[in-house]
Amino acid sequence: MVLIVIASTAAHSYFWSSRNISFILADSMVTAILALGETFVMLSRGIDLSVAPMMGLSAVIVGFRVQDHGLTLVPAILLGIVVGLVLGLGNALLVAIVGLPPIIATLGTLSVYGGLQFVITGGRQVDTVPNSFTDLGSKLVLPGIPRLLILGLVLVGITGFVLRHTIFGRNVYATGDDAEAAFRAGIPVKRTLFLCYLICGACAGIGGVVYLMRTGSAVATTGTDNNSNLLAIAAALIGGTALTGGRGGALGAITGAVFLSLTLAAMVFAHIGAVWQPAGVGVLILLAVVGDPRTRKLAVHRWKLRGHRP
Amino acid sequence: MTTIALPRRRLFPAWGLTLAGLVAAELIYFTLTTRHFAGHGSGMLALTEQFSPTGLLALGLAVVILTGNIDLSAGAAASLSAVVMGVELQHGWSVVLAALVALAVGTLVGLFNGLVITLLGIDSLLVTLATQFIATSLATSIGGENPPYGFSKSFLRLGTGTIGGVPIDLIVFVVLALFVVALVTRTTFGRSLTLIGYSRSAAEYSGITTRRTLTLVFTMSGTFAGIAGVVLAAYYNSARADTGTTLLLPAITMVVLGGVDIFGGRGRVGEVIIAVFLLGYLTQGLLIEGYSSLTATMVTGILLIAALVFKVWLGRGAGESFVAAAHRLFVKRSRPSRA
Repeated sequence: MVLIVIASTAAHSYFWSSRNISFILADSMVTAILALGETFVMLSRGIDLSVAPMMGLSAVIVGFRVQDHGLTLVPAILLGIVVGLVLGLGNALLVAIVGLPPIIATLGTLSVYGGLQFVITGGRQVDTVPNSFTDLGSKLVLPGIPRLLILGLVLVGITGFVLRHTIFGRNVYATGDDAEAAFRAGIPVKRTLFLCYLICGACAGIGGVVYLMRTGSAVATTGTDNNSNLLAIAAALIGGTALTGGRGGALGAITGAVFLSLTLAAMVFAHIGAVWQPAGVGVLILLAVVGDPRTRKLAVHRWKLRGHRP
Repeated sequence: MTTIALPRRRLFPAWGLTLAGLVAAELIYFTLTTRHFAGHGSGMLALTEQFSPTGLLALGLAVVILTGNIDLSAGAAASLSAVVMGVELQHGWSVVLAALVALAVGTLVGLFNGLVITLLGIDSLLVTLATQFIATSLATSIGGENPPYGFSKSFLRLGTGTIGGVPIDLIVFVVLALFVVALVTRTTFGRSLTLIGYSRSAAEYSGITTRRTLTLVFTMSGTFAGIAGVVLAAYYNSARADTGTTLLLPAITMVVLGGVDIFGGRGRVGEVIIAVFLLGYLTQGLLIEGYSSLTATMVTGILLIAALVFKVWLGRGAGESFVAAAHRLFVKRSRPSRA
């Protein structure tokens, strides 16, 4: 990360300017917040493919309330969380109670929520959001530090605390590491899973409101059209959270997201066309996984196993 | 209870019958409610043109999912080969040569996936997530700002032509579908890949070259994506960089709806084929009735979840509660396979 910053600054002095850095940071916050929710689910050895439409639905529903009924800031955030919780409840029921595999259950809800978002907008779009929202999305606290970064850091602080220092947090790690062992150790596995998907929904809900602050608009395809889903998962992965559960943390989500946008911005400064941005994300995922010492050890372990087999 | 049995062979499995019944029901429903749907009998056949590329993707994905892996790059690989096909045709290449190169491109994407997954031992979800992004970029950059369009008549026949009233791409799909069914059920290769999905370590200890098999499986998925891409280019008479990408989720839905266990080792390709028709006709029927494509997607999602819930209910043991059955079918099985 430092390397990229130095190289890009050397090439273009504008890169290290406070405006640019703060823009990059603010831009990455939506992904970071989605990745935070995804972290909970991934730690519990699951995956949530429906964060994008959950975020989109929250942005659209809150956006219409703000636009048509003059909803103020705090109730808007609360409404976003409620919307996210309700949608997350759907996933939670399917995964934790019915027991469907997470990838399938959320694949289904991805379609359902995406359609719902379309139905709710009914062809209209949110385009007039009051300044109290957009200010929060674009104004800076100090040069180079956008207000959104503070919001992101506060959320990371809360989730980091929950994961590290509460019984629930430890349960999440235990469940993801080995659900059978966790169950035998008396950990309420189902309740833990249930809460993970709820939290993921809530984070997506907040992400939707932040999206609204950042862009001041929301349409029927917000979220689903720009791969937010996969970006959130990619950010969590790059931040060191493993898909196999039980490993990773809240800080990884935000560093992963910032690193992602930083690299993409650096690509722009290096005059690499926008069409190559997805490829950049792809290569980053591969590098993150290959560079992960645990994966490497596992691969070496497998090699050895093969060698010793008769 | 430690009975380890491979899936029993039955001529008319309950799940397949359920799916077939649903297909019949929806065909009758749409024929009765919408005049254009049946269209003197030929309309129903013509509609298959709309979803045979998705079906082709689903075939490749079904094999991958049977091994307990997943290929998220299939859609993007299809886009890539469609774009390659289009660009070559615009440069005046012959149709056969262009198609071969486009297929090779799809196959290469699959081979890359397979090699990275098996040699580095990385989860397929991660690798194919990454290659999906990379293939998308490649497709966009090759296609350029003005995607190629307007191909020769002879090539377009592949997408829209018919032989004796049957659309050519339906024939392509059915032939390849039969090939995959035979491959999975009648060959050593098919047995091996199913066993890998059932238990990878068991497969290794019984002397199956798991890495070679898996690499082949991913390569095959890439080839199928390539074929889908060529058909897509012929059908739309253009090659945009996102033609195939949007087909990925419907294709996965078809496979899962077809009863293939997402953790591998269980499922029949025959039922996936029925699911292809079920989902394809459902989407097309809804579109003809004037619903938006997103409503159709929503119905698809509901169907997917409802089908799974019904399947769990169907697979209940005597006196077993619903939740216990779901736990037995999904949660317990998911433990050892990813170790």
